[in-house]
Amino acid sequence: MSSAATRLERRDSTKFKTKLQLLLVEDNADDAALLLHGLRKAGFEVSNSLVCTAADFRRHVKDELPDIILADYNLGEWRGVETLEILRSEGLDIPVIMVTGALGDVAAVKCIKDGATDYVLKDGLARLPEAIRRALLDKQERALRHQVEDDLARKVDELARSNADLEQFAYVASHDLQEPLRMVVAYTQLLSERYRGKLDENADKFLGYASEGAMRMQVLIKDLLAFSRVGRNGGASGAVDCNAVVDEVLQALASAIQESGAVVTHAELPAVWADRTQVAQVFQNLIGNALKFRGKEPPSISVQVEKADQQWLFDVTDNGIGIAPESAENVFVIFQRLHTRTDYPGNGIGLAICKKIVERYGGRIWIEPRAGSGTTFKFTLPARADDRIEVQP
Amino acid sequence: MTAVPQLLVVDDNPADVMLVREALAGSAHHPEISNVEDGEEAWTFLNRGKKYMNALRPDLIILDLNLPKKHGQAVLADIKSTPDLCRIPVVIFSTSQARQDIVRSYELGANCYVSKPGNLTDFFSAIQSIEKFWFNFVNLPPRGE
Repeated sequence: MSSAATRLERRDSTKFKTKLQLLLVEDNADDAALLLHGLRKAGFEVSNSLVCTAADFRRHVKDELPDIILADYNLGEWRGVETLEILRSEGLDIPVIMVTGALGDVAAVKCIKDGATDYVLKDGLARLPEAIRRALLDKQERALRHQVEDDLARKVDELARSNADLEQFAYVASHDLQEPLRMVVAYTQLLSERYRGKLDENADKFLGYASEGAMRMQVLIKDLLAFSRVGRNGGASGAVDCNAVVDEVLQALASAIQESGAVVTHAELPAVWADRTQVAQVFQNLIGNALKFRGKEPPSISVQVEKADQQWLFDVTDNGIGIAPESAENVFVIFQRLHTRTDYPGNGIGLAICKKIVERYGGRIWIEPRAGSGTTFKFTLPARADDRIEVQP
Repeated sequence: MTAVPQLLVVDDNPADVMLVREALAGSAHHPEISNVEDGEEAWTFLNRGKKYMNALRPDLIILDLNLPKKHGQAVLADIKSTPDLCRIPVVIFSTSQARQDIVRSYELGANCYVSKPGNLTDFFSAIQSIEKFWFNFVNLPPRGE
């Protein structure tokens, strides 16, 4: 921003020296002449109109759209400070500098509060050129900031739309792809069942490959659908008790836990502000992975939590085969697998879905580097705003 | 049930209709399977219009949702709001597993909702289960009433 501001200043200081469209709100012609003289001497090439009633002011300001307004405070029947009200009602952003005789502190503060950019006393006119420069610079900076904000808002909007488009595409594509693929699967299976042994040995093998491939594609498409559904479904955020969710997940994984002799422990868990099904999915995928990628020892898995700002920071740690540090980012990419299907079955969708869910609620998920074996996943989910008061000391 | 059970399959995908026929090829009931390929045709069939003048009233309807001309749910709504037809059990048999499709179908009076399974074994077993359930265990409404 600082380089932009410098550029602005340079450009403006040259511009000021050439031209200044001025609207003077002043009922004293001598004061007006004196003021203009001062400005010309200071290097401004001034063109101006002079008004002293509200009606004139309204008309001129709309027609001329001046760079700046210099307004006397006391105008007999009218007060220069009321120009501010008119500008507001016309939706115009033009800096107003009050140029006035004696103005008490209280009145001065009120002018600034009402929106005047500055005020200059008539016996201190030497300060006026600088006040004008500053006012114009401020305005330009304001305009620039607005533009940057608008650009940003538009980009955010575009990004959201393109994300939504992409999700829509993934959804439609995967949904519509299922239908013809179902035919391929069913009929290659029918073929291989009905004609097994009736063609030659190769034919049986070929049909087997075709059928396997088609079925694998079916699973991929289902996964892609599930992935694209993260953004489409849920979103019904509410307080979700993670204790209940994790207990349900453990129940769902009961046979895998029993079979592997795993010990899964969890701390007293908080409520998070999210969609219940999606929170369950995150825990299920992480704990499920910990069970799947186990080492020689029976799995020991623990779920811990701590408070971090307005979020809960969860920690799922296991004593499994671990993940090499260089793969710590990759594992969250959709369809990314670190092992062969023979070693560990799966399609590389679980962690991608975890990431998408967590990020959907403004959280983050990552693998904590650690010494020794095992893996630690950390992720954050939003706490309810009012939880903070109860929990923080 | 003494007469041959009549099964109407409303589905525009001939490959699926063929799979239904294959699944029921060895069935004990030997149901007579009729097929119409779009929603309007289904309505004509059920009302014995045009070429279906002599069509028998089906004992069971297997209805796909994504149909040309008239959506399966519209066909379902019409069946269930027609006194003459509303007693015929309708099995929705669709690829869609979308919650709103399932809920809406039951709201409209579907007798059950079955998603088309992705592989042959499950597809056969779904169709065979439907047939066995409705033609073995269920007391269907008497014919011609």
